[in-house]
Amino acid sequence: MAGLEFHYTLWITGIMMLIIVPTLLMTIIFPLRYHHSRNAKYTPDWHFSATIEILAWAIPLAMVVVLAYMSVSAIFRINPWNAPELASAPGASQPPVKVEVIATDWQWVFIYPDENIATIDDLVVPAGRRVQLTMTATDVMNGFYIPQVAPMVDAMPAMVSKDAFEIDQPAQFTGFSTDFSGAGFSWMQFKTRILAQADYDAWVKSVQGSPNQLTYDVFTQKIAQPQVNYGATPSYFSAPNAGRIFGMVVMDAMNGKTYPVPDSLTKSVASNEGKAPASPAAN
Amino acid sequence: MQVAVEGPWSPLLGRLTLDAIPYTNPILIFTFVIAATAGLVAVGSVLYFRKVGYIWREWLCSVDHKRIGVMYMILGLVMLFRGFIDGVMMRTQQAIAIGPNSPGYLGAAHGYLPPYHFDQIYSAHGTLMLIFAATPLLTGLGNIIVPLQIGARDMAFPYLNAVSLWLTVSGALLCMISLFVGEFSNATWVGLMPFSELPSNPGVGVDYWMWALQVSSIGTTFNAINIIATIVKMRAPGMGWFRVPVFTWVMMATSIIGLTAFPVLTAALCMLGLDRYVGTHFFTAGMGGNYMLYINLFWTWGHPEVYFLVLPAFGLISEIVATFSSKSLFGYPTMIAASMGIAGVGWVVWAHHFFTMGMGPDLIGFFSAATMIVGIPTGVKAFNWLFTMFRGRIVFTTPMLWAITAILLLLLGGITGMMLSASVVDYTVHDSVFVVAHFHCMVLVIGAGIFAAVTYWWPKLFGFKLNETLGQWFFWTFVAGSLLVFIPMFQAGLDGETRRLDYLFDTSLRPLMLLEVAGIGVYFISVFFFLAMVVVSLVKREPAGQDAWGTGRSLEWLTHTPVPFYNFAVTPQVHALDEMSWRKANGLEKTQPSTYVPIHMPSSTSLPFIIGMLSFVCTFSLVWRIWWLAGASLLAAILLVIIRSFDKNEGYVLSAENIAEMERKLHTVSLVAEQSKVLPVGGHAEAH
Repeated sequence: MAGLEFHYTLWITGIMMLIIVPTLLMTIIFPLRYHHSRNAKYTPDWHFSATIEILAWAIPLAMVVVLAYMSVSAIFRINPWNAPELASAPGASQPPVKVEVIATDWQWVFIYPDENIATIDDLVVPAGRRVQLTMTATDVMNGFYIPQVAPMVDAMPAMVSKDAFEIDQPAQFTGFSTDFSGAGFSWMQFKTRILAQADYDAWVKSVQGSPNQLTYDVFTQKIAQPQVNYGATPSYFSAPNAGRIFGMVVMDAMNGKTYPVPDSLTKSVASNEGKAPASPAAN
Repeated sequence: MQVAVEGPWSPLLGRLTLDAIPYTNPILIFTFVIAATAGLVAVGSVLYFRKVGYIWREWLCSVDHKRIGVMYMILGLVMLFRGFIDGVMMRTQQAIAIGPNSPGYLGAAHGYLPPYHFDQIYSAHGTLMLIFAATPLLTGLGNIIVPLQIGARDMAFPYLNAVSLWLTVSGALLCMISLFVGEFSNATWVGLMPFSELPSNPGVGVDYWMWALQVSSIGTTFNAINIIATIVKMRAPGMGWFRVPVFTWVMMATSIIGLTAFPVLTAALCMLGLDRYVGTHFFTAGMGGNYMLYINLFWTWGHPEVYFLVLPAFGLISEIVATFSSKSLFGYPTMIAASMGIAGVGWVVWAHHFFTMGMGPDLIGFFSAATMIVGIPTGVKAFNWLFTMFRGRIVFTTPMLWAITAILLLLLGGITGMMLSASVVDYTVHDSVFVVAHFHCMVLVIGAGIFAAVTYWWPKLFGFKLNETLGQWFFWTFVAGSLLVFIPMFQAGLDGETRRLDYLFDTSLRPLMLLEVAGIGVYFISVFFFLAMVVVSLVKREPAGQDAWGTGRSLEWLTHTPVPFYNFAVTPQVHALDEMSWRKANGLEKTQPSTYVPIHMPSSTSLPFIIGMLSFVCTFSLVWRIWWLAGASLLAAILLVIIRSFDKNEGYVLSAENIAEMERKLHTVSLVAEQSKVLPVGGHAEAH
């Protein structure tokens, strides 16, 4: 899908070049051609031409009509809420992998409600299947972005946003937050691993056996508390009631639950002395 | 009622304690030494030359629109420099911090700035550059030029004009003092929500940002009222709407935006203030609050604000291109229609600032198409400038070079803006430095317009031209610096460098960062050339005549150079759109009036300055929650306004004899000045 975005970027830029390049040339040529030393034709009182004015309005108008049509049709194709583009992808015949994303201060929590597992700062999905992301945040906004993979969409507290992608070959990417969320923002990266289906199944099994359990209480009392995960070290959890956590976090935010960041934490982040007590809760 | 805040609070000093002074931070100590030295030199020289009375009477208490304009511009230039230094720190930090694990200096994990300091720097950079550099510079130009272009004595409300200035100054002071007392906001210049609420931002930084923006935006609203009233009511006889010079027209469009958009910001910031001080829930995520409300309100102001800044620059370019092409502006009526069109469409595009915040395709489609419509009037403007130059007699003076560069930058900013308006592109480069490079291109259009205008109108105001050689050096170094900084930034943005990150995430982009730092170096050289230009010109003082460039077209070139405080000895009668050109064509530009009539002038007053300083004290105490001082200073300011409204002083009248006498002197002086290279001063002026 990122490929589709690239395709549109090239087309939109290319079409605009039709108007930009001639204008650019005129901007350079006219001052040189009509420099006073050249003694070129001089019409001091010529200040209006209906033909030129009509063209000056009509050409940009035509350009805007074309570009607006492209832009509107493109957004309906890549619509992160329900991308028709993914309906024709190879993975469309299989059920999508659902992942619930919660941005905390300052980590990414990925919950797999169907597999009853959860991870921090590591998004693992199978190749060749559609990945359906549902996103929220505990407290402040963060931008969810994996440049090569999916459109950038914000994870917002008390609201649910959606994103989707499908990658057909195993690969590795890095995702990060694009919308500033505080001093720990600098370490809000997450690994994105696209595994072959068999590897993915094995990985799910191994995480399901993890002794670390993620429950709503663990989430609110430890993981959602403001902390910096220096180096974005991943952690893995089995989560028997994984399906309930996301909805409760959204409701909490709507009911006014916040995770206040102490001023002193903000100020100690990433000065050298702050580096030691990194994210004890998550690990 | 008052919400509990972290840390100690005392009734006398509020949250203010000794810990608020960042005396342990080497960067800030260095900054303080520089700022204190500059301040001491400025105050010291005023004292040494015994100019305290002069500064107080002639400047701080002045209600003269030209002096207020000049003070606006001085404020803008100082803030431009401070914002530039912020930019230098950001660029160097990212060039040093290559990857999250690169070595750190001065106690930072990587680079030399810890994230919370870096965050304050870019928040301050944005706030200062837009609100306290670009806005005052353009307001200042509007203040100086609009009354002159329409043949008015002053602004419609001279006293209100001074109040606007000092409110803006108090906001700027608040930003400056946040360097040394406490901290500035880390929530970016837009105030991220709900990040700006107390739970995420318990310090005083957001309060500083909020009050600085609030107090200056009130000043800007007043100024918009003033400019609209001036243009509507004070045009010289004969100046119908279609003889109004194009810059005055765009200031009209701009001020309509200012008058209608700034109250939205005022309201949004009031609600944020209630959230932070009283504990309401307007913009919180929960308890019925809705932060999207803030984001919509902010950009409902924020996007028109962009055109509030760029439209005056378009007007400046129009004036300058026509003057130095020795030709009437091409397509004057469509130029005005385009300005009004931009001002209007600017109101329906705000949501393109948050395409990624979960908007559905219907809304995105609408705002994407609406945004593209802005391209039409902007394109019309570019074509009209080109056809103004077509078949002209172009002179490459410094203002003209700036104006042509502005058109080129507009093309670059325009094409990238159209790209961003397509959400399909925005989904990949939103919140990347591509966006940063795009709007810097547009702000550079504004900057180029301002530098063009400063060079162009300087002689009218001060009586001598800026040094042309150094001006061109400044121009070339500034443009080279801009290209070196922002072309690599476009590339880095397309390659996925996200903004607001204190280190370079993708280490392979390091060469681009180094190019940007090289550009910053060239910018530094350009600052040197700018200062040299001003100093050399001040020393040389090559006198300029009435029509300093020889091809002036509008009314301001008709009066004396430098402009006397009453602007025009008699109110001129307007015969044509390009009045000065018309008069030159008919040989009427040097005629002296046979009789003078008395002129009604406004009196100077110290009240606006005092009100400005009181509002600084008031907002500063609100930041630190020193309730008694905030209340006292607010009450004092309100009392002063009430006292002023009972003041019966309606200004003073210059008698006809007085004017005749001053005109005779001015006339002699200007003739002598024109001959000073040939004849010793005081020579045979009468002979000419």
